[in-house]
Amino acid sequence: MGQKVPVTAIRLFWATTLLLLAGGPLLTTAALALGALLDATAWRALWHEPPWLSALGLTLWTGLASTALAWWLSAALLAQGFVRQSLGRLLRGLPVMLATPHAAFAIGLVFLLAPSGWLLRALSPWLTAFEFPPPWATTQDPWGLGLIAALTAKEVPFLLWTAATQLQRDDLRQRWRSEHALAQTLGYSPQRAFWRVVWPQLSARLWWPLLAVLAYGLTVVDMALVIGPASPPTLAVLAWQWLQDADLAVNAQGAAAGGVLTLALLGAALLWRGLQRLHRLGGQRLNGQRGVASMPANAQPSAGLPASYLLLAGLYGAVLLALAVGSVAGVWPFPSVWPETVTWQAWHRVWDSRSTVGTTLGLALASAALALAWSVAWLELAPRRWDTALRPVLYLPLVLPAVLWVVGLYSLALQWRLEGQWLGLLLAHTYMVLPYVLLALSPAYLGFDARYAQLNASLGHGPWHFLWRIKWPLLRRALAASAAVGFAVSVAQYLPTLYIGAGRFSSVTTEAVNLAAGGQRSLTSAYAGLQFLLPVLAFALAAWLGAPRRFKPAHP
Amino acid sequence: MTTFSLSRREILTIAGSATGAAITPAWAQSPATAWTNLEKAARGQTVYFNAWAGSETTNAYLQWVAAEVQTAYGIKLEHVKITDTADVVKRVRAEKAAGRQAGGGTVDLVWINGENFAAMKRDSLLLAPWADALPNFKYVDTVGKPTTLNDFSVPTDGQESPWGMAQFTLFADSKRLPQPPQSMAELLALARRQPGRISYPRLPDFTGTTFVKQALLEHVADASVLAKPPADTDFAKVTAPLWQFLDALHPHLWRGGKQFPQSPTAIRQMMADGELLLALTFNPNEPANEIAAKRLPATVTSWQFAKGTIGNTHFVAIPYNAQAAAGAQVVANFLLSAKAQARKADIRHWGDPTVLDLSKLPAAERALFPSQPLPGQVAKPAPTLPEPHAAWVEPVEKEWAKRYL
Repeated sequence: MGQKVPVTAIRLFWATTLLLLAGGPLLTTAALALGALLDATAWRALWHEPPWLSALGLTLWTGLASTALAWWLSAALLAQGFVRQSLGRLLRGLPVMLATPHAAFAIGLVFLLAPSGWLLRALSPWLTAFEFPPPWATTQDPWGLGLIAALTAKEVPFLLWTAATQLQRDDLRQRWRSEHALAQTLGYSPQRAFWRVVWPQLSARLWWPLLAVLAYGLTVVDMALVIGPASPPTLAVLAWQWLQDADLAVNAQGAAAGGVLTLALLGAALLWRGLQRLHRLGGQRLNGQRGVASMPANAQPSAGLPASYLLLAGLYGAVLLALAVGSVAGVWPFPSVWPETVTWQAWHRVWDSRSTVGTTLGLALASAALALAWSVAWLELAPRRWDTALRPVLYLPLVLPAVLWVVGLYSLALQWRLEGQWLGLLLAHTYMVLPYVLLALSPAYLGFDARYAQLNASLGHGPWHFLWRIKWPLLRRALAASAAVGFAVSVAQYLPTLYIGAGRFSSVTTEAVNLAAGGQRSLTSAYAGLQFLLPVLAFALAAWLGAPRRFKPAHP
Repeated sequence: MTTFSLSRREILTIAGSATGAAITPAWAQSPATAWTNLEKAARGQTVYFNAWAGSETTNAYLQWVAAEVQTAYGIKLEHVKITDTADVVKRVRAEKAAGRQAGGGTVDLVWINGENFAAMKRDSLLLAPWADALPNFKYVDTVGKPTTLNDFSVPTDGQESPWGMAQFTLFADSKRLPQPPQSMAELLALARRQPGRISYPRLPDFTGTTFVKQALLEHVADASVLAKPPADTDFAKVTAPLWQFLDALHPHLWRGGKQFPQSPTAIRQMMADGELLLALTFNPNEPANEIAAKRLPATVTSWQFAKGTIGNTHFVAIPYNAQAAAGAQVVANFLLSAKAQARKADIRHWGDPTVLDLSKLPAAERALFPSQPLPGQVAKPAPTLPEPHAAWVEPVEKEWAKRYL
């Protein structure tokens, strides 16, 4: 026992160091961001700016509608996957969808849905009799429907995947399976048993991911710039435009709009929580209905995938194909389905700016590695109570509006003279990546069966042996996947790259969004395609690294 | 080497004061020597050139410039790609607010004009006058192109160096629009005949603002009031006919004039797709460029309104806190060279009209420029009308946003 005290002390020392490394800058950034809100004149100026209220309305509508849709769709898919035991196959296509950056997806979706887009080209003129694109508001529509569709399609994979990380935990999976089976012995149909027994437990564990989805939906800038309504735009875009203004007073007004977004997010989160509680209260009153006892799907447990899932996968396929074709399109008048001339110019330009790809790769690799190292160390060393207490701070970059977050980040970088520096950019990316990596890693890491450690000790091996030879190899899949998530998050960063990079560093994402504003199809598509390709490669690598070991039968 | 050049400078100074031709202080240098020293100081510097990067031809041209100044002057030119020059103004202002001294900034050279220049000049964010001292400045057509000295009615005072010319130009597929409109009034008539097929970029996009200023110019009773700041006149009275015109035009625009594309490039893409009838640009050579790049069909023609359209000059400027002020000046001088200007004017590379007076150039350098207009370019160039005073931009944009957003 006498030996254990210093070990714990060293442990706590390192945990404290980790705490300061992550918590310090995060809290400072948040404080600086919120400090920018203490400007009464800015609030007054905001109040007198007519479009802000309708912009807020659009923000709430698009953010809440997309979150609700994504939540509902994910729940339905999980239910079917769980009941039919086809979750594994459902998750197989997920990395590609997950890796598709928001901006790239929006750009591709615009190419599909625009009045001159592929969908209408395919139907014209034989069906629609259109010789020219119709005057329909199908992109940047004033109701935000395009933005809602894009956000929903992007968030369903994220929710599915975070749910999957929970379902992959050995402890939970086995318990839920047996509880589900037990409910069925009470006569509940498999579907109803899922909703009654598994879903309430699962959904409670998805609160933070859901909050991230909600925050993203309410505060997204890059995606809204590409596919969102334009006049008025969403409040986040308006705030971003004001923050870009040369006038300092207008900047302050932008920060104030970021404050409004924070309040909106807080309100929306509370509303969601309230509704969930109401629903749960209602759900507790069992009415004894057991549901349809046996469904056809039950007969063959791993029947086909749900149609909604296939539709989603098809949409991703079409978006990526649109980007691929768009990137080599020359003259392409409506209603030709294929370009009249093909040109590789755009890809030549991409090749000419290889340094952009280098910057993106370097930042993504370094920030994902740093965040993974920190997360593993933290989960290994920190007392569980510390972890619970620190989570809200760690998730600050997730839940604070990005437009407000970069205000704090930028003033911190200015003070530390890190603006326009690679190191500053790396830190900004790492703090954005950290919460996602932690979110991705902790279920598997914390759910690791403690008996392995006991077994290891009983065999007389030390803790390092346990980590290197047993725990980490067994958690290989989760570690690789979290690193890939971190990589993808870093690649997709728009505002921090733009702000902290002081324009000196361009990533494929800043290029793609800048070019999307320019509207030239081929170059925008090429960069969006590249923005998609990098994380997909990372996920493929992660899947390969994380693949379970196969033991070959010994040949004579 | 250093000793030699020092002694030569001393001789020059002594000779100058002995003849009494010019009363030169002992520390002053002759322009040529000063320039040589500047070039020496510039060697090895990294120049961060903050330039709008929405067009790939511009980016490719700047890559060429970077290679040229690297070999000729040992300067590393980094193109900092920006979408809005106002960001740069903002950054330099933030740096000044943070107490950054001269030599401590992140911007060395910025592509600028109009309101952004006016703002930087007003707030003393620019390096002390330097542009007139560039060796190549003597070739600039300051007489034929008075906008090279007057940036939206704000005198440049040597704090920015001219780089290229621009004039408001329209283009369309001649198959679909054989008789292009020759004035704002004709444009309105066309919009009435074919509703939903015309638009202009949402302000404060530069081309969008220019469209509105062109309309203002065509509807104002006395154009001379626009050369003065709007504070000197009755803004509401002067602009009333403009809003009347736009009120009449907007219901016939794309999406009923309730929404505007974000950029002229977006409009160009929509014109190429057939969604819009015509596109707008501030670079008269853009349509020819696009035809050459095979992104527009060869049937596209460009034109300017018969009575003339607004034109201006764009410049490069150096912030007060540039780290590589010497390198930035050497780059600015290279940008003014016949070699760089001719390549820039060549539609195969960029197609941005030159600021130089070709007749001032030595014959060999003049030969770098083509003598005939190329197919796809404006056939009959119309007069260049001067920009309104820079101070008009902000109130016009504000009023426009108030009315139409």
